[in-house]
Amino acid sequence: MELLERGPYLVQLNALLRQAASGQGSLILVTGEAGIGKTALIHQFGRSAEKEARVLIGACDPLSTPRPLGPLVDIASVLDGELADLLDRETPRDRIFRSFLSSLASARRPTVVVFEDLHWADQATLDLILFLSRRLTSVPALVVATYRDDEVGPRHPLQIVLGDLATGATVHRLMLPRLSADAVRALAGGSGIDPAMLYQQTSGNPFFIAEVLASGGAGIPASVRDAVLARVARLSEPARSVLEAAGVIGTTVDPSLLSAVTGPVLEPLEECVAMGMLRGDGAALSFRHELVRDTILDMLLPPRRTELHRAVLASVRAGGVGVDRLATVAHHAEEAGDGEAVLEFAPAAAVRAASLGAHREAAAQYARALQFADRLPPDVHADLLERRGYQCFLTAQFTEAIELSERALELRRVTGDRRKEGDSLRGLARVLWCTGRISESEKRAKEAVALLEDMPPGPELAMSYSTMSSVFMNAENADGTQTWGTRALELARRLNYTEVVVHTLNNLGTMELLRGKPEGLHKLEESQDLASQAGLDEHVGRAYIHLGWVATRTRRFDLADRLTAGLEFCGDRDLYLWRIWLMAYRSRQELDQGRWTEAAESAGFVVQYAHGESMSRVPALCVLALLRARRGDPDFWPLLDKALELAGPTHQLQHLAPVAAARAEAAWLQGNSEGIESETRIAFELAKTAGDPWTLGELACWRWRARIREQIPAGAAEPFALQIAGRWPEAAELWGRIGCPYETAAALLDGDEPAMRRAHAQFERLGARAATAIAARRMRELGIRDIPRGPRPSTRAQPAQLTTRELEVLQLITEGFRNAEIARRLSVSNKTVDHHVSSILGKLGVRSRTEAARQAVKLLSAVRQA
Amino acid sequence: MPRYVVERTFPDGLGIPVTEQGALKCLSVVDRNADVGVTWVHSYVSEDKNKTFCIYDGPHPEAIRRAAERNGLPVDRITKVSVLDPYFYR
Repeated sequence: MELLERGPYLVQLNALLRQAASGQGSLILVTGEAGIGKTALIHQFGRSAEKEARVLIGACDPLSTPRPLGPLVDIASVLDGELADLLDRETPRDRIFRSFLSSLASARRPTVVVFEDLHWADQATLDLILFLSRRLTSVPALVVATYRDDEVGPRHPLQIVLGDLATGATVHRLMLPRLSADAVRALAGGSGIDPAMLYQQTSGNPFFIAEVLASGGAGIPASVRDAVLARVARLSEPARSVLEAAGVIGTTVDPSLLSAVTGPVLEPLEECVAMGMLRGDGAALSFRHELVRDTILDMLLPPRRTELHRAVLASVRAGGVGVDRLATVAHHAEEAGDGEAVLEFAPAAAVRAASLGAHREAAAQYARALQFADRLPPDVHADLLERRGYQCFLTAQFTEAIELSERALELRRVTGDRRKEGDSLRGLARVLWCTGRISESEKRAKEAVALLEDMPPGPELAMSYSTMSSVFMNAENADGTQTWGTRALELARRLNYTEVVVHTLNNLGTMELLRGKPEGLHKLEESQDLASQAGLDEHVGRAYIHLGWVATRTRRFDLADRLTAGLEFCGDRDLYLWRIWLMAYRSRQELDQGRWTEAAESAGFVVQYAHGESMSRVPALCVLALLRARRGDPDFWPLLDKALELAGPTHQLQHLAPVAAARAEAAWLQGNSEGIESETRIAFELAKTAGDPWTLGELACWRWRARIREQIPAGAAEPFALQIAGRWPEAAELWGRIGCPYETAAALLDGDEPAMRRAHAQFERLGARAATAIAARRMRELGIRDIPRGPRPSTRAQPAQLTTRELEVLQLITEGFRNAEIARRLSVSNKTVDHHVSSILGKLGVRSRTEAARQAVKLLSAVRQA
Repeated sequence: MPRYVVERTFPDGLGIPVTEQGALKCLSVVDRNADVGVTWVHSYVSEDKNKTFCIYDGPHPEAIRRAAERNGLPVDRITKVSVLDPYFYR
């Protein structure tokens, strides 16, 4: 069937390919319902592109648990050997991704890479798409990804990737519509079918139309499925039988496997191809459309289906199972009801998936095995439970992870393996902490120590000491952190347990930094270096998270580029939970530095995609609420209530203090300072106990603004202490030096007329409508005249949709600075500047800095006039 | 989905001519809104064309602001609203 009404889309694809050929690659998402013609469009494009480009196609499997990196495995099989080699061996995923990228970057011709059916993608493939999308700007490749948008609900794993991609400048979208009545009329010409009826019945879905026309019957079937069935009904009995076996084997069918399952197949296969059910695809055969295969499988009676899966399983096993087929074999084993085979292949498939960072798939493979685990010895059963628990933890399925961990613990008690029991307790403590169940977590950590201390010391005991040290660190108890940390470090160094050394140094360093001891940074860096040398990615990520915590708490914006580096590190690996935490801290930094547009993006991402019970939501909810409250936007209290609901039960300063301060500020902005005392009381007490300067100062300052007159405890962080002491000029000056424009304005609000005018103007510049109104009111009350009235919104409509930071970078570009110099001036990393520059070029639609600078002169003068 | 009134000020007046060009301008706004998941229902424009009151459906205020930014439109104030219909009480 010829492609109708797809011309403009082919033009768009070709334009992007030309751009890629000139060295500026991009990602395009092609979406539409099943049967809309995504594959047909891509194949047509691919055929025409082959003249000038290399075309690589990989498809995701419709398996309940897909192969990890399935599409890349497909692609590697037609590429040179290196990628396939890396995929076969136990290679860190990062290296696999980089090898693929460099093969794209170094190719003589441009490449078109197609990932089909992302709605079925495994987690590692989705990560690969993100990895590539961030790096395509300077690579001669066009990545095309297709998916059925109507099958991607709000909880679908693809959603989070789409959320991430939304911020990228090199991402394009192409949404395929249904065919028009005119197109349907053209297709129906000469078929004897009423075009109007055909259009009405098929709603213009091209696949449906093709099925109806090919079935050749007089009437029009009610559904796609009926249309496919009508065609199947015309097949001979042997052909149908072969088609069923092919359907069980999968989307792509190896003819030799097929004949091993059903006996000689040549004639029936020819019939299936002639009737358009299958098509030749090199040496293999494939279904013309997944909807055909779906219909065939639906039609199969369960006993026949089981029988076919058994036959496929037997044939595949006989030929030997390579690592990239483990997922498929585990699938056949389960469908065949063969428990032994499931226990043999599913855990192996899980290990493979986990090693490639497809943790969701790994968890699902373990779940598959656990269905048959009752027949296993209890210690092996417990291992499986714990391994699935860990994969659930990594994918933020916390409730499930806790339950699995508790079941494993019971089995450990049955077997009497106390070392493993202790280790299980420690693992459980960690997951409990992540969901805010702090006191249970502490209890489990203590139980672990008690149990393990009864035995000769080993790595488990050392790690349980370190866990205790982190329990105290999280409670911000410096002495406890130190005591347990020293004990852990002493044992770990004596017995050479690197992981424990890494963990402990992190706890100790973080605690010192929180209390303003600069040597903490050395410990944290040492921990991170050790982790990185030992390939302990999780611990590298943990160091980044704690740096993020410390940097936001102590307003150390000089550490901001560590956050950026951390986001990149975790984004390139499979450290999803870690990345969410870093994103939450970054949103706080962006808010504090006055980069509110960015803050809204980062915090919005966390609130939308972090697990419902995850404590990482707390800082992000606070940031989003403060943005709304300060801007005078609606609906900030529901966010603050949610934050309090999560943070309240933890009774920990790190969670409660930001919530208390945000709620105090929201009340203040609404002119309701009476609420502040009760909102801040608990957190203020905790801050006093912990002796933490920053939370102590911030909360004391809100209480002072609410006119609560009390003894200010010693040790409050300097800008707050100055403010409370009435030394607002110094406080404002210090906030300015630290780099917090909103806090600077808030400090000036206590000042004289010129100070108030500055505060007013600063609030207005930030778009802080609520605070601007407060400043104006105060000035009016003091009889100050000529207060600028109302907002001047044109200043806030950013030209060319550039963010405030991008405007700063652009300004420096026009002044002729190179990236390295810009990075130094803005105290960010070179890489961050690179990102800004490419984003600016994208938004301005220009190719070079010179062009950007020329555009900028116009833009910036417009900004100044406004 | 919540509904919002978005107030905007155009110091130099809102310049959308009733021509094909104006229609295209409006449609491009609709397209960019779709990318961020908000819907522009309709707007009221003051006589002097200096202020608009736009009715929007969207998931949250940040989406409304993001849409405004992408379209290069100013935002003074976002108010969450619900419909009050005078004939409801009859």
